[in-house]
Amino acid sequence: MDIIESSIDTKSKEYQQNFTFYEKLVKNLKQHIAAAAQGGGSEKIKLHKSRNKMLARERIETLLDPETPFIEFNSLAAYNMFDNRAPCAGIVTGIGIIHGREVVIVANDATVTGGTYYPITVKKHLRAQEIALKNNLPCIYLVDSGGAFLPMQDEVFPDREHFGRIFYNQAKMSSLKIPQIAVVMGSCTAGGAYVPAMSDETVIVKGTGTIFLGGPPLVKAATGEEVTAEELGGADVHCRESGVSDHFAHDDQEAIRITRNIVENLNRPEKTHLDIKKPEEPAYDIKEIYGIIPKDSRRPFDVKEVIARIVDGSQFHEFKALYGTTLICGFARIMGYPVGILANNGVLFSESALKGSHFIELCCQRKIPLVFLQNITGFMVGRKYEAGGIAKDGAKMVTAVTCAQVPKFTVIIGGSFGAGNYGMCGRAYDPRLLWMWPNARISVMGGQQAANVLLTVKRDQLWRKGKELTKDEEKAITDPILKKYETEGSPYYSTARIWDDGVIDPADTRMVLGLGISASINASIPDWKPGVFRM
Amino acid sequence: MFVNYEHENNVYNISVERRDDRYFIVYDNNEYTVSATELKPGYLKITLGDRIIKGIVSEGEQSRFLFIDGNVFKVKKIELTGKKKATKKAGDLNSPISGTVVEVKVKKGMTVKKGDVIMVIEAMKMEYLIRAPYPGKIDNICFKEKDQIEIGQQTAEIKKEAAR
Repeated sequence: MDIIESSIDTKSKEYQQNFTFYEKLVKNLKQHIAAAAQGGGSEKIKLHKSRNKMLARERIETLLDPETPFIEFNSLAAYNMFDNRAPCAGIVTGIGIIHGREVVIVANDATVTGGTYYPITVKKHLRAQEIALKNNLPCIYLVDSGGAFLPMQDEVFPDREHFGRIFYNQAKMSSLKIPQIAVVMGSCTAGGAYVPAMSDETVIVKGTGTIFLGGPPLVKAATGEEVTAEELGGADVHCRESGVSDHFAHDDQEAIRITRNIVENLNRPEKTHLDIKKPEEPAYDIKEIYGIIPKDSRRPFDVKEVIARIVDGSQFHEFKALYGTTLICGFARIMGYPVGILANNGVLFSESALKGSHFIELCCQRKIPLVFLQNITGFMVGRKYEAGGIAKDGAKMVTAVTCAQVPKFTVIIGGSFGAGNYGMCGRAYDPRLLWMWPNARISVMGGQQAANVLLTVKRDQLWRKGKELTKDEEKAITDPILKKYETEGSPYYSTARIWDDGVIDPADTRMVLGLGISASINASIPDWKPGVFRM
Repeated sequence: MFVNYEHENNVYNISVERRDDRYFIVYDNNEYTVSATELKPGYLKITLGDRIIKGIVSEGEQSRFLFIDGNVFKVKKIELTGKKKATKKAGDLNSPISGTVVEVKVKKGMTVKKGDVIMVIEAMKMEYLIRAPYPGKIDNICFKEKDQIEIGQQTAEIKKEAAR
C-alpha cells in the first residue's frame, strides 16, 4: 500500500499555535478524568477501605490480566449533573482482558452515594450490557450498590430503559450463551439482589457481601423480626442454605481469584476470522494531530493528515480518490486489523454520499470493519442540490450505514451536525463504540444557524402584523440560543449524558480502535442484507 | 517508493521498500538491506549488511547534510518519480463551495506572496480561506463582502510576478 505523504509543516506558526491550544484541551480532559476517578472523595474512600473493601478501580485492576489495557467507558458520565454528586455516575464500566479474552466489566463505586443508581448510572450500566451483547462478551458485575437512588425513583425505575432492563438483559444474554457472572462485594439490596440471582455463576464475599430483597430495617417494619445484615443475606446463608450464591470468598482478593478461575473455564468460542497482520506504528507521530486540528473549529483541515497518523505504517489504499472528494474512503490497517475508513473532508454532496454508500457495500461484502472519522457540518443545501436529489443520495448513505452489520466504530474528530451525523454513523446507527475528541462539537445545527432560523421565523410573524424587530429585541432572541448551543454542543455535555462512549486524547485513538476491533470479533459478522435504496 | 537524490550534481535513483522495521533499497541493480534506529533526534545508527554506521542527519533549507565518519555529504531530494505524490492542490482562485464572502483581505494593486489569504468564504458553518496560489499583484477582486458566491467562481485575479 502507498504511504500518505504529509504536507504538514511542524515548524509553522499556525501548527505551533494549534498544538499549544490542543495540548491544553487534552490536559484539561485528563484533569477532569482524574478528578472523576476519585469517586466520592478521600473521606468516603477511607471509610470504604476501613471496611476491608477494595476500591472499584482496584478490583478491576486485580481482576484483569497484568499489564493489559482496560478501555473505560464514559469516565465523565454525569459530569456537571446532579450537582456533581455522582462522579463517573458511581459506576466503572469497560472492556478488559482476563485469561487472554475480552470481557465487559461493570463495577459499582460504593464511595459515590453508596453505589446507588442515578438515571445516568442506569444508562451507563445498560450501555455496558449493550456493548457486551453486540460484541458477544462475557459480563462480570462487581456489585456493591444500594440499588436505585430513591429521591429520583421516577427517572430510574418505571420505564423500558430503566432499572428493570438490567435483569432483562442478563436473562437475554444468558440465553444467547453470553456468560453472566456476579461478584457480590458489598450490598445488593432489593432489585439489586437480582443481579447475582440472575447470573450464571455468583461469588460472594463474607462479611461485606449481602444479598436480600428487604434489608434489616424493612424486615423489622414488616414482620417485627430483628436480624443483622450478615444473618439475613451474608455469604454463609447464600452459599450454605439458600443457594443464591455459588462461591464463598473470605475477602475481595479471594473473590477476584475465584472470578478469574470462572472465566478460565468458560470455554469461549473462537473469534471471527479477519486477515490480521503484524501491527506497525504510523510513519508520522500521532501527536502531530494536535497541530493539525485548527484552533478555530470553523476552519477546515485535511483529514488525510489525520488518517496518516492513525493507520499502520501511514499506509492507505484510497478508493475513488477523484470522485466525491469531500468524503475520503479507503482501506488501511489499525493495529494489524483491516479496516475501511470513511472520513469527512468537507460538506457532503450527492457524489460523496454515493461514494460512501458504495464503499460501505464493499466493506460489508468483504466483512471488513468500518471506521468513521466524523467531522461533518451537514449535507449541502440549496436549490441546485435539492433538485439534484441530495435527499435521496443522503438516504442511500444512511441506509448503507444502518444495514452494515460489520463492526462499526465512530470517532467524532470535529463537528457533528444535522443529517451528517446520521450518514457518518452517529449514536443512533449503532456503532460498536463511539468516541469523541476534546475539540468535537455536536448539535442538530450550528448555534448561529439555529439563531438565524428562529430570528427569521419571528421576523416574518411580526411583519404580518406590520411590526419590526429592533436590534436589542433581535439580540434578546439570538443570545440565549447561541449560549444554549455553545453549552450543549460541548463534548463534556455529550459524554456526561452518554451520547458517546467517552472523550479521548487523539493520541489514544489507534489503541482504542484496535482494542475495540479485537473485542468486536468475538461476535460473528452477518452477511450483507441491505434495505431498499431510493435510486 | 522511488526517490531521486542529488549529490554533487549526480542524480541517484533509488527504490526503497519498507518491510516491518527494515528497508530494502535497490540502487544500480544492487539490493541492500538496511535498518536504522534514531538514537536521539538526528543521530542515527544504521545497519547495512554487517556494517554498522553511526551518523548525524541535519536538515537544511532544501538539502540534508549527513555527517558520517568525519565526512560531510550534502544530498538533496528531488521530486518523486515512482509514486504519484499525494497531490495536494496548491489551490486555485476559485471558490470551493457556494456561500457568502465574509472578508476580503486584499486590495487591488497589492502584492501578495504565495499562500497569502485573499478572501474568506463562509458556507455550511465553515470558513474557507482562498489563498494566493502564486506570488503576484492583485489585478482584480471579483467579489466584495456579503456577496453570494457560487462554487467554482473565480474570486480574484492575480498577475504573476515577472520572473527576475
